[in-house]
Amino acid sequence: MTSLFLLVKISWRNLWRNPRGTLLTALALGLGLALLLISLGLLDGGHEQTIADGVRFGPGHVVVQAKGYQDSSSDELLLPAQAVSDVQGFLKTGNIKHKVRGVSPRLLATGLLSTSASSAGVRIVGVIPEDERGVSLVPLRMVEGTYLTSNDKLSGVVIGDELARKLELKIGSKAVLMTQALTQAGAETGTGDEMNSTLLRVSGIFRTGLQAIDANMIYLPLSSAQALLGVTDDRVTQVALLLAQEGDSPLVARALRKQLEGSPVEVLTWRESLPMLAQILGLDHAFNYIMNGVILAMVGLGILNTILMRVLERRYEFGVSKALGLRPRQLAIMVVGESLALTAISLALGLALGLSVQHYFATAGLDLRWIFKTGLPPALVFDPILYSRLSVQRIVWSVSIVFAMATIISFYPAFKAAQTDLPDALKVL
Amino acid sequence: MNEWAVKLKDVRKTYRTGPIEVPALRGVTLSIGAGEFAATAGPSGSGKTSLLNIIGGLDRADTGDIWVAGQNLQVLSAGELAHLRLQSIGFVFQTYNLLPVLTALENAEFTLLLQGMPARKRREKVEKLFSEIGLAGLEDRRPKELSGGQQQRVAVARAMVTEPALILADEPTANLDSASAIALLDVMEQLNRTTGTTFLFSTHDPQVMERAHRLIRLRDGQIVSDDTRSSPIAAVA
Repeated sequence: MTSLFLLVKISWRNLWRNPRGTLLTALALGLGLALLLISLGLLDGGHEQTIADGVRFGPGHVVVQAKGYQDSSSDELLLPAQAVSDVQGFLKTGNIKHKVRGVSPRLLATGLLSTSASSAGVRIVGVIPEDERGVSLVPLRMVEGTYLTSNDKLSGVVIGDELARKLELKIGSKAVLMTQALTQAGAETGTGDEMNSTLLRVSGIFRTGLQAIDANMIYLPLSSAQALLGVTDDRVTQVALLLAQEGDSPLVARALRKQLEGSPVEVLTWRESLPMLAQILGLDHAFNYIMNGVILAMVGLGILNTILMRVLERRYEFGVSKALGLRPRQLAIMVVGESLALTAISLALGLALGLSVQHYFATAGLDLRWIFKTGLPPALVFDPILYSRLSVQRIVWSVSIVFAMATIISFYPAFKAAQTDLPDALKVL
Repeated sequence: MNEWAVKLKDVRKTYRTGPIEVPALRGVTLSIGAGEFAATAGPSGSGKTSLLNIIGGLDRADTGDIWVAGQNLQVLSAGELAHLRLQSIGFVFQTYNLLPVLTALENAEFTLLLQGMPARKRREKVEKLFSEIGLAGLEDRRPKELSGGQQQRVAVARAMVTEPALILADEPTANLDSASAIALLDVMEQLNRTTGTTFLFSTHDPQVMERAHRLIRLRDGQIVSDDTRSSPIAAVA
């Protein structure tokens, strides 16, 4: 115990024999940790934003829809009549109600929107405006006119700016929407073939930046869509849920599956309903891990070089210590102790630097608009200001990785020190 | 107590660098009595350093027997040799070789710490030794704050503080001026007289040779003369 205290004391003092070198090394390792934290913060923040935007332009964190809809996308597949009230009722109970921010029933179908200028195939989304506001981002992206309200006339419709341009539509313009009716029999059997049409008046134009939405989606009141499509019993295609925490998606989906067991429905988390988005994020994660691995490897090699040089230049000193009776194991402990002390200083520097920058990006955000000097490209879907998000687990994970790396790296110099040859290390005696 | 501090019988050592063989010791047989104040001398390459390395357990002989403090070094493991060095042998190196990050006192108590001696007892021993060899008041200085002579005296204190049976000193005065060298020899001779510790030097320094009670001359790895006197021996160049 006494000799361990001596070894720790020697390690600590050895560290400060060359303060500039020690601080530079600590800064290099600390910078590695800081980069890791900043990178993970921006990655997680970016992903969080991407998921938040993705689910709010799409089917929500969790979606309840007729069994088989995910695979077939068949408009005829509607939820059973009681399903919506069952879902809404369940979501108001127990702990679940605190996890849900919004619930929006939607009726989806395809149709043809025509004006005197042109016509275009569209995706019809029938919504309850107040409910949809609690889930979708579209109501927040209006560029002209207003989003639907419950007071809207049945003929009101909201369209994307690309579709408006194509069909030369403005606020107040009229257009004819033609679609195949989903008759009751058709809805049950998928054989409806009656064509219906209605005259709509544009009440609002939105721009999300997503071409698939801006050029194709039209939003009209649910009752209007149901009437057009011949859907009775207040049936809808899906119920989209927006949760307070993305991480609760599996839990809420599980609870709903249990509640709706036996019904011909499927309950999907966003990872299941938006598999492409999940895959892209997974790929991005993997790429980021590789990049972080490269950063850590470079920093690690720097540390290895520094510690190894410190050991090699003190070979004579180690020889003297060994000649005086210090055992190889004690020499190794001394070197590992020195390395761990250096790592501790580095981690403190890295945490201070990394968390400061992370905090800045978490509050002020990283504004990427400077990249697009001439304006945002139309394909840019998401907020160009990236906000960093870093969980405590991520910080603990990062610190642990760097600490483990530095510890493992110190083993080789420690081994070299322990292997100091006598009498070769003592050039004189 | 052993009659002999060191006993060597037909010790041979050859260094090999690839195909080249350099014989360092060629059948050295030697006994150093307990409490002797002896020196080995000889030109470079005569085998002085190899002899001290082997006696100190820092290197192993190819053949022969080496007995130090009653133990046959040839049969000891590396760990046992380290233990023997810690308990029974003190080293004084040519270039002082104090640990630069430790103070004079900490350097001197280094081996006591490794032995696990309690702090108060350690401090008492070192402070007593420091006052005996003229280092009182320098306890808290780092090596770079000490003169060469002071550093070498700290090294002697480090070697002596464990009360070893044998102290091996390699060219201890090589980097000192005459006055410092004489002062250091005074200290070591006094310690030899008062504690009975055996001293074995390797040296080129005529002052050391003059002060040694026994002078062993080596040439080409063999002992060519071995003069013992009750009083200091006159140096012969």
